[in-house]
Amino acid sequence: MPNIDRRSFLTLVGAGGVGAGAGFMLSESRKHPVEHLVPYPVPPEEFSPGIATWYNSVCSMCSAGCGISVRTREGRAKKIEGNPAHPVSQGRLCALGQSGLQALYNPDRITGPLVRAGRRGELEFDPTTWEESLAELANRLELMRTAGRGGGVALLTGGVRGHLASLLELFMSWLGSDQLLHYDFNHPATLYAANERFFGESELPYYDIENSRYVLSFGADFIGHWLSPVHHGLGFGRSRQARDGVRGRFVQIEPRMSLTGGAADEWIAANPGTEGILALGIARRIVDQGGYQGADLDAWQAALDAYALESVAEQTGVAADTVARLADSFAETQPGLAIGGGATANHSNGVDALVAVNALNHLVGNIGVEGGVIFNPPPAFGPTASRQASLSRMLELAEDARAGRIELLIVSNTNPVFNLPEAAGFAEALAEIPQIVSLSSFLDETTVQADLILPSNTYLESWGDDTPAPGVGFRVGAVSQPVVEPLYDTRATGDIVLELAHRMGLDLAFPWPNMEEYLKYSWREVWSSGTPDPAIPDFDTFWTSVVRAGVWGDETRAPGAEFAPDPGVVDGIGVGAPEFAGAEGEFPYALHPYLSNGLHDGRGANLPWMQELPDALTGVVYGSWVELNPVTAGELGLSEGDVVAIESPAGSIEAPVLVYPAIMPGVVAVPIGQGHEQYGRYAHEHGVNPIDVLAAQTEPGTGALAWAATRVRLVPTGGRVDLVKVGGDSRELGREIVQIADAGTPAGAGAPTVASAHDAGAAVGIDVPAAGAEAATANTRLNSIPITVVNT
Amino acid sequence: MGVSIVPTLKVLKPVGMILGVGFVGLLVGYFANAAFFPGTTPVQPIEFSHTIHAGDYEIPCLYCHTEARRSPSAGVPSVNKCMGCHAIVATDSPLVREVARHYENAEPIPWIKVHDLPDFVHFPHNRHVAAGLECQECHGPVETMDRVTRVAPNEMGQCLTCHRDMEVEHGIDCLTCHK
Repeated sequence: MPNIDRRSFLTLVGAGGVGAGAGFMLSESRKHPVEHLVPYPVPPEEFSPGIATWYNSVCSMCSAGCGISVRTREGRAKKIEGNPAHPVSQGRLCALGQSGLQALYNPDRITGPLVRAGRRGELEFDPTTWEESLAELANRLELMRTAGRGGGVALLTGGVRGHLASLLELFMSWLGSDQLLHYDFNHPATLYAANERFFGESELPYYDIENSRYVLSFGADFIGHWLSPVHHGLGFGRSRQARDGVRGRFVQIEPRMSLTGGAADEWIAANPGTEGILALGIARRIVDQGGYQGADLDAWQAALDAYALESVAEQTGVAADTVARLADSFAETQPGLAIGGGATANHSNGVDALVAVNALNHLVGNIGVEGGVIFNPPPAFGPTASRQASLSRMLELAEDARAGRIELLIVSNTNPVFNLPEAAGFAEALAEIPQIVSLSSFLDETTVQADLILPSNTYLESWGDDTPAPGVGFRVGAVSQPVVEPLYDTRATGDIVLELAHRMGLDLAFPWPNMEEYLKYSWREVWSSGTPDPAIPDFDTFWTSVVRAGVWGDETRAPGAEFAPDPGVVDGIGVGAPEFAGAEGEFPYALHPYLSNGLHDGRGANLPWMQELPDALTGVVYGSWVELNPVTAGELGLSEGDVVAIESPAGSIEAPVLVYPAIMPGVVAVPIGQGHEQYGRYAHEHGVNPIDVLAAQTEPGTGALAWAATRVRLVPTGGRVDLVKVGGDSRELGREIVQIADAGTPAGAGAPTVASAHDAGAAVGIDVPAAGAEAATANTRLNSIPITVVNT
Repeated sequence: MGVSIVPTLKVLKPVGMILGVGFVGLLVGYFANAAFFPGTTPVQPIEFSHTIHAGDYEIPCLYCHTEARRSPSAGVPSVNKCMGCHAIVATDSPLVREVARHYENAEPIPWIKVHDLPDFVHFPHNRHVAAGLECQECHGPVETMDRVTRVAPNEMGQCLTCHRDMEVEHGIDCLTCHK
């Protein structure tokens, strides 16, 4: 090409070069990305790539102690299910238990030991080594111990059972300290106290919902959070469906409809804090009608004298004929079960109210029988004395800290700064403690105050064991084994304690090299206590079989013993009027905080699955809200999304209004769980924490926080937000999803046959006006609740 | 004659040439890449030769790739398995010494995958081994390869053809492979 000039030539060379480069990259982009096949240097026994291995263990996401089976592939945990062989969970697991994987793989886990660099709470930490930090801590502990100042060490953990609790007990006794505390917001302290008073044993019995034909629940959200929700949910389902021809009846009494209340045949709202009085009204009616024929009938009649129907109706706001109807049907239907929890148990009169609930079980003869209250044998292992700290005990600890009696605080997987009311002043007391060590896996509100963080493994990486409380009426022990290798430079809590003991020169008292060996050593005793089995000739066989099964124990319940309460107990039965913090004139609404479905007491807030889980009853996702009855909202001129300040004598928080028909007028409810200032990227700066505005009101006998005993007022702020909700409209809009059976008229074609007007009243879940004009006026507040629950 | 296309052509001619040369360059680059850097024959971290093991010594495939019999994933042998023989055999070879070094340091060998299916395809090795298929039908004559190369396209047509020919029950249902 003679007529091509230099300029064109260069242009064409450039074009060719760019084209070649583009072609090269195009070819490159079409190639399969390089993937590696990385085999183990030495594979574990029975390992096969591509085939899942399931390990049985114990869930630690709440205190119920469900058995779990974890599916692992190539050394990674993939899915958690219930362990079918475990009598508590029986193959089932709740949402929080399922999301244990997100605790394991959480991007906000503390990945190695940290030492504080800035001022406390400023989140400035430098990495350190286990060697250095353990040596220093052990040295300090040993100096305190030998100087006789071991009592200045406090160890504050979450709910711990089994041999880890024994180990902590032993460690603290060697230090010479009595400051070993377990703090769990949801610990049923008042139930333990009520059982001690009525049954003489500070234990949780087994509540046999499964075989009961009538469950009368005073505020116990037993499908949601009460004691052992997975087991109760399973039992409840069976009580409804699993028996031929018998469908268990269930009545729920609570001021705000919970998940459990939503499943009830009849939902009744008594004035907040008067549920115990209602229980005694029912008891009085049962005694009056001749439903109780014990030798101590006179004592019962005397004790219940003050609880005549009319007086009870007046105090509780529940119509007299409803009380009578509940009493008659509960006495008639055997076996029946009365249980109490939630706001009933956590009020200023919580223990008295729960004793009244226990009394109901006794009056109808449901103690020690199938379908009633069944006593558990003592736990097979673990310490006998409870170290569970009430609010009063925590206040004492705070007082000790302020007085300089605590030199060193070790915190492990509990978050009192978040879970105690601000009024308790715990956060300020922490500032007075010279050294705080945290063994937690996450930077929660308490751990950010620490000077040294020795992060512990999650439960999926640790050895441990457990005796579920409540048990199931027979002995159960479970072993928790690591299902994966620790992901990060963390250690199991038990191993940290043992290592400290060794470095303090206490080898003779702590002869076990690690937690696994300690468990094996301790389980030898469990093994030798059992009946010899020729199939299990030695301990190693036994241990392997227990670890493999994940659970050990009996399979049948012993026959129930005769029970009669102490005469003094009967004489002392009585429930006083509830005491609230805040005068009714100034603070017109009772605050009803409740554990939210997924976030529990706030511990689930760093799990994205739980944050994405809509509230089961309101359908709200994300953030916090305050539930108001339409009547209350109408009085205040508020509608959904209006932001209000919730002011109590102890503080103030702001949340948007959700108009929720299934809550009493005069009561406002806020879910617990949000409002974290720390605790990782998924938890912090969402919503508010209602615990902040609770007054430090206690149940006087136990010192437990009466979290249902604070009054508030609502002050509109003028702000508005859109609540994120799933499921569209909560109203029927003519879709006839809920069928309403009218009490007066026979049910229409296709509707379920209603046996009597009596039952029909029960079916619609509100008081039936036809039953008496008097009753209707006594309960106008409740009749204003535009909700009907129908038993179809 | 008011309008002529000649001036337009004069402008377009250099643009056309640029585009033409560019396209030729594109083709050259594309095929040059494929020829010089074949993704189907990756260089492995240790130059393991199937010719020696499976060819010369006639070690059966399933002797090392044991899991193909019972697992969806055939797997590659653990370092431990290599050392089963190489603790004694050819211990002075530099490559074997490299393997031994991995074994001593408990350090896995990051082999590169040659045959790979997308994650939406469910291919259980165990069922195909149980059906009596020879490994070579998909993987080619591996026993002649010093460096393993991907011979089969591993695309859907190959699966379907074989499933049709073998008259596999439900062999061409979508859910047989995509589940």
